[in-house]
Amino acid sequence: MKKLIQLVSLLSFGTLLLFTAAHAQDATDIMKKSHLAMYYAGNDAQMDVQMKLVDKKGSERIREFTMLRLDIADGGEQKYYTYFRKPADVARISFMVDKTNSGHDQRWIYVPSVDLVKPIAADDKNSSFVGSDFTYEDVSGRHWSEDNHKFVKEDQLNGKAVYVIESVPVKPYKGFAKRVSYVDKTTFMPLKEEYFDDKGELIRVFTADKIDDISGFATVTQRTMESVKKGSKTIVTFVGTKYNGGLKDDIFAERYLKNPPRDYIK
Amino acid sequence: MRFNMNITLRLFATQFIISLLFASGLMADQVTLSGFAQGLFGGKLQQHKLTPSDYSASEFRLQMRLESHAGDADFFSKVDFVYDNVTQPKDQWELREAYLKYTLFKRLDFKVGRQILTWGTGDLIFINDLFAKDYESFFSGRDDEYLKAPQTAIRSELYTRAGTLSLVWTPRFTPNRIPNGERFSYYNPMIGDFVGGPPFFSAPLPAERWENSELAARFQKGLGKVTLELYGYRGFYKNPLGFNPVLMVPYYPKLSAYGGSLRGQLAGGIGWIEGGYYDSREDRSGTNPMIPNSSVLGLAGFERQVATDLTANLQYQAEYMEHYEDYEKTLVGPDKRDNVRSLITSRITRNFRMETIQLSSFVFWSPSDQDVYYRFALVYKYNDAVTLTAGGNIFDGKKKFTDFGAFALNDNLYAKMTYGF
Repeated sequence: MKKLIQLVSLLSFGTLLLFTAAHAQDATDIMKKSHLAMYYAGNDAQMDVQMKLVDKKGSERIREFTMLRLDIADGGEQKYYTYFRKPADVARISFMVDKTNSGHDQRWIYVPSVDLVKPIAADDKNSSFVGSDFTYEDVSGRHWSEDNHKFVKEDQLNGKAVYVIESVPVKPYKGFAKRVSYVDKTTFMPLKEEYFDDKGELIRVFTADKIDDISGFATVTQRTMESVKKGSKTIVTFVGTKYNGGLKDDIFAERYLKNPPRDYIK
Repeated sequence: MRFNMNITLRLFATQFIISLLFASGLMADQVTLSGFAQGLFGGKLQQHKLTPSDYSASEFRLQMRLESHAGDADFFSKVDFVYDNVTQPKDQWELREAYLKYTLFKRLDFKVGRQILTWGTGDLIFINDLFAKDYESFFSGRDDEYLKAPQTAIRSELYTRAGTLSLVWTPRFTPNRIPNGERFSYYNPMIGDFVGGPPFFSAPLPAERWENSELAARFQKGLGKVTLELYGYRGFYKNPLGFNPVLMVPYYPKLSAYGGSLRGQLAGGIGWIEGGYYDSREDRSGTNPMIPNSSVLGLAGFERQVATDLTANLQYQAEYMEHYEDYEKTLVGPDKRDNVRSLITSRITRNFRMETIQLSSFVFWSPSDQDVYYRFALVYKYNDAVTLTAGGNIFDGKKKFTDFGAFALNDNLYAKMTYGF
């Protein structure tokens, strides 16, 4: 009898362990699927982006650029090309990122007014992208393996069924101490993300405001990042998103940094 | 009468350029017109009265940019119209850029026309970049882009698997623009003191001959995370460092230069090294005191983001003069240079308030020459169109003849307002 009890308790404990492990696995799996759906849709993508930066007093600044993205490996290396159009003081500047995940990303900038190509010493993924509330990391996504994920619950957000996932950076990270993501159960788009600092205070909130189906890929065509403490927010609109346009690897090179590829950048 | 004709001619030329720009624009697929209007006012801190004006800058500038492309060809032009109270004539215009770009055989890019050219790894210091600089603009608080003066040139770039080969041919030698006593005073070794004008300093250019054109070449190859570049140049010293004792005028001695550089990721930042050899073709033996000796130059630099919104770099450069003993033997006058000239520079840039405010500082300090040049600026982007800038340029030197010591009477503070469109 005693043995039976031991066996049953052992079994149930084991099941519990398995169950927890399964949920952790689910959480990581959900975040992986979400990351791939959000940042690796198609083999390549091109889009015109407008960023509206609104400070706490309500005054607005506009950034406009064309962005090209090429995936070398899903969930792995990606190349980004950005050509700025507005405002006037950054117009015609082009910018290139080789995102490697494995180590340090490589970034280059071309400043046409002085014909200068320069690699950028910017190791900090948490720095602001062009002065907006988005960081460099927000633009290309934070790899799922950099955080430990915990499945919290299934829930509803604005009438959509979502998974709620809590993520904590594996290595201490100054960008956030905890993130809560609300991931759409069908499209795997992150509908909302809340970033908390190490005191547990809310610092930033990401929302996917508008999601369109473009060539079969769910695409967040309008998104907002609000810096709760600073009182500022940035609203990003994607226009004319095109997937699988056949971008070639060779345009992500100094030649095209200096000479914007006119097939894509009119 | 002559004055009037000049104005008529200038107006006509301006009109002609503008109509040309618009005409070319109309034929293209896509035309973009942009530019800025800018007022720049600066005053000198020393009341030395060597130059005609106490101001380092008092100007209003309108820059018009027109860009268009059709098929494989790109056209870009940039014209500056300036009303300048400090230098004559007061109303000026300059075609800063006007070029065509097109691609031949898929691998060969041409850029033909008036253009700004840059290569090399140094931050505001140059070894193998022997394209024209404009130090007068640089010292007066104009935007950074004005450090580079345009050259009318043909640039071709051939892209191959082995690397990229660039060739720049500048038919007419284009010198640096340096202080000439009108806006800024300078050190005159003949007099042994700082001087201003009028008369303003000028040096005759080499005759317009085939053999006097400038040729610059670069080979570039990516090696993983590092870029290797090799350089060559045949032309003239970009500053009038020679002196013709017969005509009693300064001139531009012949120069060839060879060098190389490496730049890439290093310790969470970017590191670079560059070296070069200046072959002073008119004085290879180093025995002519009127012409610079050949020299070997090297620089090393490192830049990294120190904290969020804070970037800093550090550079060291050394120039070693060849045949120094001959230089010492034949030297005329008291202004004796050291065998090795060293230079340390550092740039620090800090952004505030979501990059709307930027504070930057750049120091050049030569331990060997014991001189210093310090520039700083506070930039406030009031909105997307309006930028306000305040800054300064400070020079100091123990001796008057050194690179920065020569401008010791030109310390200035300036304010600038720019409206971009």
